[in-house]
Amino acid sequence: MHELSIALSILDIVRDTCAGQGCGKVEKVRVRVGKASGVMTDSLLFSFDCAKSGTPAAEAALEIEEVPVGGHCRDCAKDFTVDEKYVMECPLCGGADFTIDKGHELEVVDLEVDE
Amino acid sequence: MKVKVVKKILEANDRIAAANRRILADAEIFSLNLMSAPGAGKTTLLSKTIGALGGKLRFGVIEGDIQGTHDAEVISAHGVPVVQINTEGACHLDANMINEILPQLPLEEIDIMVVENVGNLVCPAEFDVGEDAKVMLLSITEGDDKPLKYPLMFQTSEALIINKIDLVPHLDVSLEKIRRDAQGLNRSLKIFEVSCKTGEGLEEWYAWLQERKEAGSLHGAL
Repeated sequence: MHELSIALSILDIVRDTCAGQGCGKVEKVRVRVGKASGVMTDSLLFSFDCAKSGTPAAEAALEIEEVPVGGHCRDCAKDFTVDEKYVMECPLCGGADFTIDKGHELEVVDLEVDE
Repeated sequence: MKVKVVKKILEANDRIAAANRRILADAEIFSLNLMSAPGAGKTTLLSKTIGALGGKLRFGVIEGDIQGTHDAEVISAHGVPVVQINTEGACHLDANMINEILPQLPLEEIDIMVVENVGNLVCPAEFDVGEDAKVMLLSITEGDDKPLKYPLMFQTSEALIINKIDLVPHLDVSLEKIRRDAQGLNRSLKIFEVSCKTGEGLEEWYAWLQERKEAGSLHGAL
């Protein structure tokens, strides 16, 4: 997708957070990325490293938590999680009446900063 | 020390999209984000739709293209307000581009705003521009493998218009497969099969568009 612009948005969030809380050196930025969000994690790590110099996260590592795709099937009334990015039928019962509620995440969770 | 953040990374775009949605809602405008691959027939569909409904509904159009004003010229021949955005390389429109050009349109004279996105089956699906409904167009010549290759756009659209069905007898494509795979990705997807060339199927699309406009925003209170 647009990993460099996503990396820049992450750095904006880090800068805003640091400006608001007056924190010191950022050591780690933890983000949550859903598997169906369209983001390539390798490319995001590379973009983050390219873009971070001159920001409060200049020496920070980006830690990506990948969230698998999951949902709820109304046919079998169970929750499911899959390895794939897209779900065409309920992996438990093959039913068609399901909703997807996990796997589209794209958010900054927290920062580790030097006190 | 851990500093809790929990902030959506695309929040900046979403926030501007929400502002666009509010501006359009205040002007009582229903807005569509029309997406497809290049050459699927977005501009032709839009021309036909304006031609058929232009007497009842006042259209406004935002044309997104990498460069050129061809589409804006085609649309402005219908006498409707149109603004061309040239993205100069960017592969999709985002909320900020729409926000910047809204002041150039006579909003009080528009009932339906159509944002014709940059031709691309991938990125436009990922960016909310502040529309009330996303509609995608797939021309039959693109092949019946497209829903499974480009699932996100099929998942995020309310309606799928399959265009150029007059060519079905000449092609090795299965309309049934497109329908089945698209609906597999999105149970509530409304599907129209049309030919902008012969006019087949367009009446149903026109009827849906008018009904959908009456239903207005499904995004809830702003």
